[in-house]
Amino acid sequence: MMRYRRSDITTALILLIPFLLVYGVLFVYPTFQMVGLTFTNAPLIGEGEWIGFRNYERLWGDRLFSRAVWNTGYFVLLTVIPSTLLGLLIALGVNRLNGWWQSVALAAFFLPYILPVSVVFRIWAWMLDSQFGIMQYPIAAIWGENVPIFRTLPLFMPAVAFITVWWLIGFNVLLFIAGLRNISSEIYEAAALDGATRWQQFARITWPLIWPITVLVATIQLILQLKIFDQIYLFGQGGRTDSTLGMVELIYRSAFQRNQGGYGATVALVLFVIIVVVSVLQYQLLRAKGQR
Amino acid sequence: MASVELQSIRKKYGAVEVIKGLDLSVDDGSFTALLGPSGCGKSTLLRMVAGLEEITEGRALIGGTDVTHELPAKRRVAMVFQSYALYPHLTVAQNICFSLSLAGASKSVQKEKGDRVARLLQLEALMDRRPAELSGGQRQRVAIGRALVRDPEVFLFDEPLSNLDALLRVQMRLELAKLHNELKTTMIYVTHDQVEAMTLADRIVVLDKGVISQMGTPLDLYNHPANRFVASFIGSPGMNFLPAVVRMQPSGLHAGFEGGAVMKLTPRATPHFDGGQKVEIGIRPEHVTLTNPGAGQIDGVATVFEQLGNTSYVYIDTGLGQIIVEADQSVRIHPGDRLGLTLDPARAHVFDAKGTAWAEAQ
Amino acid sequence: MTATIYTGAQVRRLRRFNTGGAIISVITLLGVIFWAFPIYWALATSFKPEQDIVRPGLDLIPNSFTIEAYAHVLLNTNIGIWYLNSLVTSGAVTVLVILMSAAAGYAISQLDFPGRRVLWWLILASFMVPIPALIVNHFVLMAEFRMLNKWSGVILPQLLAPVTVMIYKQFFDSVPRDFREAAVMDGATEWQLLFRLYLPMNWGITTALAIITFIGAWNAFLWPFLAVTSERMMNVSVGITQVTDAFGVKYARDLSSAILAGLPVALVYLIFQRRVTQAIMLTAGIKG
Repeated sequence: MMRYRRSDITTALILLIPFLLVYGVLFVYPTFQMVGLTFTNAPLIGEGEWIGFRNYERLWGDRLFSRAVWNTGYFVLLTVIPSTLLGLLIALGVNRLNGWWQSVALAAFFLPYILPVSVVFRIWAWMLDSQFGIMQYPIAAIWGENVPIFRTLPLFMPAVAFITVWWLIGFNVLLFIAGLRNISSEIYEAAALDGATRWQQFARITWPLIWPITVLVATIQLILQLKIFDQIYLFGQGGRTDSTLGMVELIYRSAFQRNQGGYGATVALVLFVIIVVVSVLQYQLLRAKGQR
Repeated sequence: MASVELQSIRKKYGAVEVIKGLDLSVDDGSFTALLGPSGCGKSTLLRMVAGLEEITEGRALIGGTDVTHELPAKRRVAMVFQSYALYPHLTVAQNICFSLSLAGASKSVQKEKGDRVARLLQLEALMDRRPAELSGGQRQRVAIGRALVRDPEVFLFDEPLSNLDALLRVQMRLELAKLHNELKTTMIYVTHDQVEAMTLADRIVVLDKGVISQMGTPLDLYNHPANRFVASFIGSPGMNFLPAVVRMQPSGLHAGFEGGAVMKLTPRATPHFDGGQKVEIGIRPEHVTLTNPGAGQIDGVATVFEQLGNTSYVYIDTGLGQIIVEADQSVRIHPGDRLGLTLDPARAHVFDAKGTAWAEAQ
Repeated sequence: MTATIYTGAQVRRLRRFNTGGAIISVITLLGVIFWAFPIYWALATSFKPEQDIVRPGLDLIPNSFTIEAYAHVLLNTNIGIWYLNSLVTSGAVTVLVILMSAAAGYAISQLDFPGRRVLWWLILASFMVPIPALIVNHFVLMAEFRMLNKWSGVILPQLLAPVTVMIYKQFFDSVPRDFREAAVMDGATEWQLLFRLYLPMNWGITTALAIITFIGAWNAFLWPFLAVTSERMMNVSVGITQVTDAFGVKYARDLSSAILAGLPVALVYLIFQRRVTQAIMLTAGIKG
């Protein structure tokens, strides 16, 4: 293509300016500012003094911080693997349905994903309501009495994780179905004639061929759940939230409730680093494993 | 209508020189074919005329005006792409008038010009269809129409027929020939198919690795190829090449083949040489006649016999390699037949070690 | 028709597939029921009179049907204003993101300018930074610009959408060069190329991205929650969680406000199912 540099550059500039403005002001600048803030003791709004690595030292010994990291990790464990595997199972099931049934099924699994978190919160707060929630019937049958799920500490995280899986599974199912559709049915027919059982077909054909999608789904879920805030905050309202806070909530608390902008930024930076490291690691690890 | 002139044109991609300093003059109103194998630079040359590729060195003139640094739209040229590049989201009518619409022409002007072009190319019935609904030949006509509506001074064609099947190709060739006769606009046509070039062009420019191998009328190139490359590229089935040694005898130039056969050559403008010089004798299949073994200059054994109905081709294995002979359609040869071959010395070409032809002396 | 010859064992196995397959389908359908149930239950409850809800006993289908909860919510809360806020902010985010991203994606894809590569890598890198990590800075910025508690403050940080730019760039890249050249020969300027060739040829993408951006903006919680303290400026997704006290514990009203909040995006999905799934696939493709 013929290049007329000057007109190209002008046009490019005009096209890019809005994006660059937003990007520069809302991303680049805040990112650098955040990093800078971690070395100060600034409050939420206003200047602070340089305190070197004191925030980081404090972080290291902060019980609340380690709790937040632990909670976040725990939550990730409770959601990423189950939702990935469950997504695959559901996709396998839905893929077998035909025509209208398949559309209905897909819509049923996907609709929750479309809803705002607060709507999901309301729906499940009602389902698990300690007095009149419908889930209390089976719970009472097992336990003997109603259980206030969100006020019972050991049950809080698993419950929120369960609800999160219900909420987000549609995304995974969608991706898996797309991946499954890419596997030619002839491969299964050949395997059937070769005498493969259903389990063998899954283990030897489906699982390996769907592996890249599995990695992708797991990675996306992982990065997503590391940033958990909304559900835990909403379901934890009115309770002992110190025990259940995740890292993002710690950022929010430090900066907004304790007016410690510098410290909040430090937590944010640590979260960022964790996300980058974990996601790159996981991707490489699983990818390598898949290339057996 | 305008002439096109390329002066000392060079094209470099980084360190790689693709067009190596060539000069080309295309007459106003002519149909010039740029012919050559893949990679010879013919498309690049065309795109430089169009303005889609930058000219590294040299000048391009259209109608006498220097357009070397001019934008494509300002050069008064139009191009028909190999893939047609019809805008899929527009109808045929909109495709044809796209350039007018870009320039801000009124709807009535667009309709008028569009209809005129449609009539010329018999596209009236298809004006509201989308390209996806058209056949290959129809799409090609729309592509031509889109170029036509701009009333260009030069038409550029980039291998427009290569995506069509054999039958359609012949049909469209005729349409293009008729189009040129009617419009008399300058046309530059890139192709790798020598049949297309031979049948459509007034003048053929044969390109080989970025240089012009030879320029001339089709018959010029056919009967008087300037080098081995052109000789082998033009004509199908290709020319036969036989290694020989040429000696200057008192009675004139003689070519001696391995195995003892000798052929007297017509006078040539030869470079001076002593003793014998190794050359290749080129002779086309239709200039070799079949005879009995021993009665001709060369003997051989027939391997394959092709009958086309209007003519036939015999493939013969000789001591000098394979020779193809065009024979009458009534001839019947069987693989394994022993034959003698007579070469017509008046139609023999001589190519020296560098591939240059020894032109006939006037 | 090719005749396939099966051995007895293979026939038995093939037949077993069908029963096995039927079981799987049944399980799947049970899963569908289980998955859809919470939404159904919330809907059903929202239409029950409050006394029916707090009464012991289970009515899977409402005995009496009433819209009193909805009426109360619509009349006695600010949900109308929340809707307006959601519409305005989500709409603005959608329009701005699409315009900006298409323009930027086009520039990066088709134009040659200094710093092009650097910019592209920067955008790729920005992927890794979690937006929640920047909330503090965004808050401070919006405070400095005095945009807190205003639509602009809610909208601006949500305009960060590197994924959208990347998708546009990919699709513009995939437009065959021939089309561009033909249009250039026809005399098109870069602007005409963008608006009359590249965008029209990718209209489906724009629709898909617009829909999913809208849904994302409508559902946003964390940032709108932080950026707004005045109840009248909340969007509907935040609003319904902030005013529980006004209801005391009135289940039907809680649920009906939730239903009202989720209804628009649910409808958008059900109507534009294909586009939504397409958009999800695209964004996932980028992340992979």
